[in-house]
Amino acid sequence: MQGVQGVQKVQEVQRVRGAIGAALAVCVIAGAVSVSAQWQGYKTPGIPRLPDGSPNLSAPAPKTVDGKPDLSGIWQASRAVFDLAQAMKKGETVPFSADGKRIFSERRATESRDDPSARCLPTGLPVRALLRTPFKIIQTPPVMAILYESRTTFRQIMTDGRPLPEVDWPAWNGFSVGGWQGDTFVAETAGFNGKPWLDQAGYPASDALRITERFRRRDFGHMDMEMVIDDRKMYTKPWSIVGEFILQADTELLEFICEENEKDSAILDGK
Amino acid sequence: MKRLRLFAALCLALAPAAAGAHHSFAAQYDANQPITLDGVITKVEWMNPHTYFYVDVADDKGKVVNWAVEGGAPNVLYREGWKPTSLKKGDRVSILGSRAKNGSNQINATSFKLPDGRCVFAGTSGPGGTGTPNCTVGRR
Repeated sequence: MQGVQGVQKVQEVQRVRGAIGAALAVCVIAGAVSVSAQWQGYKTPGIPRLPDGSPNLSAPAPKTVDGKPDLSGIWQASRAVFDLAQAMKKGETVPFSADGKRIFSERRATESRDDPSARCLPTGLPVRALLRTPFKIIQTPPVMAILYESRTTFRQIMTDGRPLPEVDWPAWNGFSVGGWQGDTFVAETAGFNGKPWLDQAGYPASDALRITERFRRRDFGHMDMEMVIDDRKMYTKPWSIVGEFILQADTELLEFICEENEKDSAILDGK
Repeated sequence: MKRLRLFAALCLALAPAAAGAHHSFAAQYDANQPITLDGVITKVEWMNPHTYFYVDVADDKGKVVNWAVEGGAPNVLYREGWKPTSLKKGDRVSILGSRAKNGSNQINATSFKLPDGRCVFAGTSGPGGTGTPNCTVGRR
């Protein structure tokens, strides 16, 4: 009997050990999956690394074969800005026209209740750049493509030498062309439809809007942007905002289908 | 099952990050009406543009009311370490947030206090949107 009990005990111990082993295996697998689920945590190839394996964001900016800086990568603003006044240079103020001031005041009075982006329509280019959602730049010779996680939108900045187009059907994102001034990439955009707000605070834009963006990748992990906003219907002169983007290593864009469960716009009350 | 939940809870990151938002916080919620809900999750909507968690909460007289809790965008929470299954029906939570201006049983969540006592950021763009979890203010 004792022998049988001994065998049973051994089998019990083996079962427990087996269960622990299986549990550990599950943990390891689950851990591995959680680390790289949907490529979040997957080691991005081509990124310089420090001895501990972390990205070396201070390494030199990469160059393309023609010697220009390569802006390619996933980027995100170093701080979220919903009100463009917070992204202006110190001491500068927004030079409203009378119409611009009136529209902005109306929007503030209702706490931006009527912002089109609250209804899942596209955000304006200025605030989209400064959200805490990443965007991916794919730099090729004829085009600088920007894939925004925000609303799963994209832009093409044509770099093949073409001029800005004649526009008879204005667009939410306008039409963009770009080129290099030294190590700074300069994009010019026009042909906007005047529908998106420049930001969530409610700075207005019209179909007269023109935007100039200057991007400078100062090292591997940091890129500076200056954006000049020129809309003579809403403002008396051009004004600018600045932003800093940080390279997002070992991640990937996620889908953002805003319409999937948008239920807030019907109950936005404002003041 | 409990172990899975514990694992999911352990997956929740503690490191904070700033939030995204698809609408103006102030158009819908009142930062001057902080509130804490203690209750049981009845439904989870892990969808853009915002997560929604529905929670049964007993009032002072014991009457159970279902509250809608708006969290941050799932993309933001996912990068924080949340998973679609981090909170599930039946989980008991304590949630700090701001009440809706229209007086409905709805809040915008700032932080979730988990059954194990940890406090995690909920992705709000309102007060607390800088990402520091805080589960101690405005208890209901």
